[in-house]
Amino acid sequence: MSRREGSLDPQADSSVSPLPHLEAKIQQTHSLARLLTKYAEQLLQEYVQHQGDPFGLPGFSPPRPPVAGLSAPAPGHAGLPVPERLRLDAAALAVLPPLLDVVRRRQAELNPRAARLLRRLEDAARQARALGAAVEAVLGALGAETGGPRAEPATAAAAAIAAAATGGVFPAKVLGLRVCSLYLEWVSRTEADLGQLAPGGPA
Amino acid sequence: MPAGSPGPAAQSARRPPPLLPLLLFCVLGAPQAGSGADTAVISPQDPTLLIGSSLQATCSVHGDTPGATAEGLYWTLNGRRLPPELSRMLNASTLALALANLNGSRQQSGDNLVCHARDGSILAGSCLYVGLPPEKPFNISCWSKNMKDLTCRWTPGAHGETFLHTNYSLKYKLRWYGQDNTCEEYHTVGPHSCHIPKDLALFTPYEIWVEATNRLGSARSDVLTLDILDVVTTDPPPDVHVSRVGGLEDQLSVRWVSPPALKDFLFQAKYQIRYRVEDSVDWKVVDDVSNQTSCRLAGLKPGTVYFVQVRCNPFGIYGSKKAGIWSEWSHPTAASTPRSERPGPGGGACEPRGSEPSSGPVRRELKQFLGWLKKHAYCSNLSFRLYDQWRAWMQKSHKTRNQDEGILPSGRRGAARGPAR
Repeated sequence: MSRREGSLDPQADSSVSPLPHLEAKIQQTHSLARLLTKYAEQLLQEYVQHQGDPFGLPGFSPPRPPVAGLSAPAPGHAGLPVPERLRLDAAALAVLPPLLDVVRRRQAELNPRAARLLRRLEDAARQARALGAAVEAVLGALGAETGGPRAEPATAAAAAIAAAATGGVFPAKVLGLRVCSLYLEWVSRTEADLGQLAPGGPA
Repeated sequence: MPAGSPGPAAQSARRPPPLLPLLLFCVLGAPQAGSGADTAVISPQDPTLLIGSSLQATCSVHGDTPGATAEGLYWTLNGRRLPPELSRMLNASTLALALANLNGSRQQSGDNLVCHARDGSILAGSCLYVGLPPEKPFNISCWSKNMKDLTCRWTPGAHGETFLHTNYSLKYKLRWYGQDNTCEEYHTVGPHSCHIPKDLALFTPYEIWVEATNRLGSARSDVLTLDILDVVTTDPPPDVHVSRVGGLEDQLSVRWVSPPALKDFLFQAKYQIRYRVEDSVDWKVVDDVSNQTSCRLAGLKPGTVYFVQVRCNPFGIYGSKKAGIWSEWSHPTAASTPRSERPGPGGGACEPRGSEPSSGPVRRELKQFLGWLKKHAYCSNLSFRLYDQWRAWMQKSHKTRNQDEGILPSGRRGAARGPAR
């Protein structure tokens, strides 16, 4: 399959009409990303509530520690071709689930009665995995490369963050906030990138 | 921002490397983001303290760049800036803090004590755990559903408020032998409860207790000793049906089925019925329904919807004289009495507990009934219906006597007469 960049090429050979199916898949994945963006916002709110002030206070500016294997979307991300953006989205979504798991385990010690927070963290890991797989499926249907297996970086990132999370409680709270923030950033970034491809979006 | 492993955003122009040597995540206290190269560490880290105690803490700044100094640093606790008089510089790089008479922690994850640079950026943090050790849990009560399991609940000591996460563990063992076991299914019937689903022995006592533990200590409840057979309850009676009794306007018939589990065990059951008018919250209870699975409620208001519930108490388990534990009430079942043109009786039922005077012992009631029959009966065939009519008449006459003490509704003075012949 030839590599495509940018929007779908309506002139491509579509004797079997794969386009409607692909469009439906893109639309579906875009809807999923939109839904998960809302969930990610709720997760962040729930998280800061349970850490106590100053987390969640207006103007709270915590350190933004680097997370091994994952950084925030770069400022130039929106300027990249859509398939490249989606590839980066998928890569980030693949790294996030084990990080969210580590955060959940630490929060289970710090906030054992916060059942809803723990459930949201568990759901977020599962949903990030699902969205990442859906984005990769879209990339595959577009004929774009998906970037290959990411199991090793994800596992190593989780190991690094787990080691850090066993330290002091305050750093663990900050770390969890960073992971939840990164999750929100990447899910909303994915929603925006898929919106470029969805019917009715900019070509 | 310190360089970490390049994330996806940085790899836009090339393929991601198959495996990168990953840097360890930088924690606060090590070179970290936020305020340049300055770093700091708070001591003590995450201390646990009793309510009312004091804390001496330090924030030590160390950095590679010149000018790393404690000058201008300040503290916040749970987001609130602490008064400067609580702080003092121990030396050029260390700011000390003295807190006295600490209150209980605001959240279970710990109070956030933070050391800030002059510009407000966060240099370091430590979480304080201020609370109380647990007090002895008490008031343990347990019950077994159909002799298959055991559920217990308890009350935490000191109303449970220790300001720290306190773990409660229900333990149990056979009194005469065996090892301690720990219950695993918590919060089944409330926050302080646990359910043991299986592998329980009968005819032998268990010892049961609760252990409470938090960062400041532990406490143990008194031991409760019980035999499973002494705390048996069942499911509520199923298939409760309430129906009219022909055209009788003041009666309803209640029928139910004994809980299926009773068939498996060698015990009997006694039942209790409660009923209320639809728009009332006051239940009337009928006791001593004994081993029957039906009952007739009498003395009800005509044209009125009643809600009825039934519950069961197993007793005589394997010949024991002890009563068990009442089951939950069955789901409410409703039915209405037929309408009547005459004002109906005020209340009463089949042996209501503590209600109108007509509910005296059965023998006295029958004696009165026979006396009445000699005077009023015109047929020799005594029927239960006639008896019920007499009872309804008795209710009315009691009500009329009560009404005579107040304002009488017009047209009701004749209600005290006996039934028409």
